[in-house]
Amino acid sequence: MTGTVETELEQFTRGDIQAFETLFREYQGEVYGWIVRIVRDPGVAEDLTVETFWRIYRARARFDPHRPFGAWARRIATNLALEHLSRRRGEEPLGQDLPPRGAPSAAPDAAVDADVRAKVLAAFGELPAKLRAAATLAMIEETPYAEIAEALGISVNGVKSRVFRAVRLLRRSLEKRGVRP
Amino acid sequence: MNERDEALKELLKRAAGVPADRELKRDLWPEMRPRLERPPARIPWWDWAMAAALLVCLLLFPATIPALLYQL
Repeated sequence: MTGTVETELEQFTRGDIQAFETLFREYQGEVYGWIVRIVRDPGVAEDLTVETFWRIYRARARFDPHRPFGAWARRIATNLALEHLSRRRGEEPLGQDLPPRGAPSAAPDAAVDADVRAKVLAAFGELPAKLRAAATLAMIEETPYAEIAEALGISVNGVKSRVFRAVRLLRRSLEKRGVRP
Repeated sequence: MNERDEALKELLKRAAGVPADRELKRDLWPEMRPRLERPPARIPWWDWAMAAALLVCLLLFPATIPALLYQL
């Protein structure tokens, strides 16, 4: 960490708006990118990014400027994304807000039958938020377990456990719907 | 992960697709700025009165504290 950055972080903890703006502009893309991987909706991810920085600003006095700002921001962003998934559990299947098929780099695989896709997304949307987030990051995004663990504030074994439980619930739910992957 | 889990993972990945905008396309600072300029929310006098009344009740009837904690 450079001296300049450290000074900026110290200024931020004292409530300096200029320093906060600099941090905001530097990290907004990273925070957004992390949130969109979990919630899978660009519009929601933008709102949650702003909300994340609002929480960061309010909690500035508790931040240790000698620790990495990015990791702290990601933890807060993850908590907000989990809160969002909890609120929307079962009503917003994964990928529902994605652009229609044919849109660049956004369409689901055409080989997956629409009916099967709907069942998979519905089953996934029913998972508890904590399991859903862990499974999204580990199975769909293929994020390293250590990275997920840091963002969720749990151990790597904790992440493995959540993914395992998500897979078990998902499989059971899909079997009820007549899908056997 | 075993073979069945891998199959499930592949199905999930193919069903979910990829979010269209994985990278932020615009600056969000204009949306952040008004929040910082908003005056902090004031707590209405009624909330203070309720809190004071609750405190008095708890002091007068301490036996209700465990019941209250249980409800929380």
